[in-house]
Amino acid sequence: MKPPPFEYRAPDSLGEALDLMGEHGWDAKPLAGGQSLVPAMNFRLAAPAILVDLQRIDGLAGIRETDGGLAIGAMTTQREAERSDRVAGLAPLLHEAMPFVAHPQIRNRGTVGGSVAHADPAAELPAVLLALGASFRAASRDEPGGRWIDAADFFQGLFATALSPEELLVEVAVPAPAARSGAAFDEFSRRHGDYALAGVAAVVELDEAGRCADARATLLSVADGPFVAEAVPATLAGEEPTGEALADAAAAVAAEIDPPSDIHASAEYRRHLAEVLVRRTLGRAAGRARGDVAP
Amino acid sequence: MRIEGEFTFDGPREEVWELLHDPDVLARALPGTETLERVGENVYAGEMRVGVGPFTAGSYDVEVRLEEQVPPERYTMIVDGRGSLGFARGKAEVELEEEGSNRTRMRYASDLQVGGKVAGVGQRLLDSVGRGMTKQGLEALNEELRARLEGGPGSGEG
Repeated sequence: MKPPPFEYRAPDSLGEALDLMGEHGWDAKPLAGGQSLVPAMNFRLAAPAILVDLQRIDGLAGIRETDGGLAIGAMTTQREAERSDRVAGLAPLLHEAMPFVAHPQIRNRGTVGGSVAHADPAAELPAVLLALGASFRAASRDEPGGRWIDAADFFQGLFATALSPEELLVEVAVPAPAARSGAAFDEFSRRHGDYALAGVAAVVELDEAGRCADARATLLSVADGPFVAEAVPATLAGEEPTGEALADAAAAVAAEIDPPSDIHASAEYRRHLAEVLVRRTLGRAAGRARGDVAP
Repeated sequence: MRIEGEFTFDGPREEVWELLHDPDVLARALPGTETLERVGENVYAGEMRVGVGPFTAGSYDVEVRLEEQVPPERYTMIVDGRGSLGFARGKAEVELEEEGSNRTRMRYASDLQVGGKVAGVGQRLLDSVGRGMTKQGLEALNEELRARLEGGPGSGEG
């Protein structure tokens, strides 16, 4: 199938791209790796009048260390993030999750920023970056330096984000892990690379006595966007992460969520998967925080 | 696709009933509704555009028939929508219950068949989109209701 006609622009600079977005707003769509947008256009489920290709703009890709952690350029490919030693060292949760993002061919083209801005409820990156407390820099013609948006405010439901139609996501800031913390990611799909039926990103931070100073989990594919399980900090804060405590937390998450049903999985099945995955990932995250589970 | 749930309106049941039968109000409140008019007794027809984020699932000619009406307690909606990218048809049962003198609890249960390209490609999203649109529509209706009640009798346009 072929897309409906559209105008194609490939600016050489960010300023030019921001001008185009500022001028055309809703009618324009930024094209990053095109791994979601182009199929949607080919199915004629998306019909932007103008595509603004970001590939030729210098300085939007790359991963660098900052004072507080990592800065990942929005146009960094998912494959680069997956293979980056900096990501492995300073954002091990992201490193662990990357191989679950679609297939290698898609990760070669698909970008970190593209997945974040697309905000698919089944996508790994939004859930992981939300669990990590990442923030996102959105630039616009009026504010070329950009404004920072916390992940907690950024994701607003089904394919909805805090970005305005004139803005471009340009950078992702990921804070380095706290001391005595560990994280884990896991998901379940019928075939590797398919949309996950449920997935969990978990982070556990221990105090000196081995109790949870902080514990959190975000889920994918169980709500209309990445879902922060409030039951996790509510049941685990101040508690030792024993098998029993983790099982209680997982059961509380299963009660908290209201997952969708479709031909791939019923709501009940998703709820069951979520419970198992929350228990496993929290257990592995706690083990890594203690230092007795391999990173 | 089955969507069921409850919603509480901030107004008396008769007002809610009236609101739910006013095509102008429904056209304003229901997401994606371009036009909606009464075309016969208890029959409404119009055009809806359905979309989510970057996706547009096309425009649909929609006909809604109200049946088994017991004012102001319950009714059944028979929905038939057709568009270039697919179809949706089915029925929804709506019950209204008084909750004190100034609030009304709505219970709804709909069973919709969705087919065509939209269902083929977007299957995994139908449930979330349906729920999202329902919630958005009910909240907008509640806003209309509040505006109408605050405006006092006679200012039906809210």
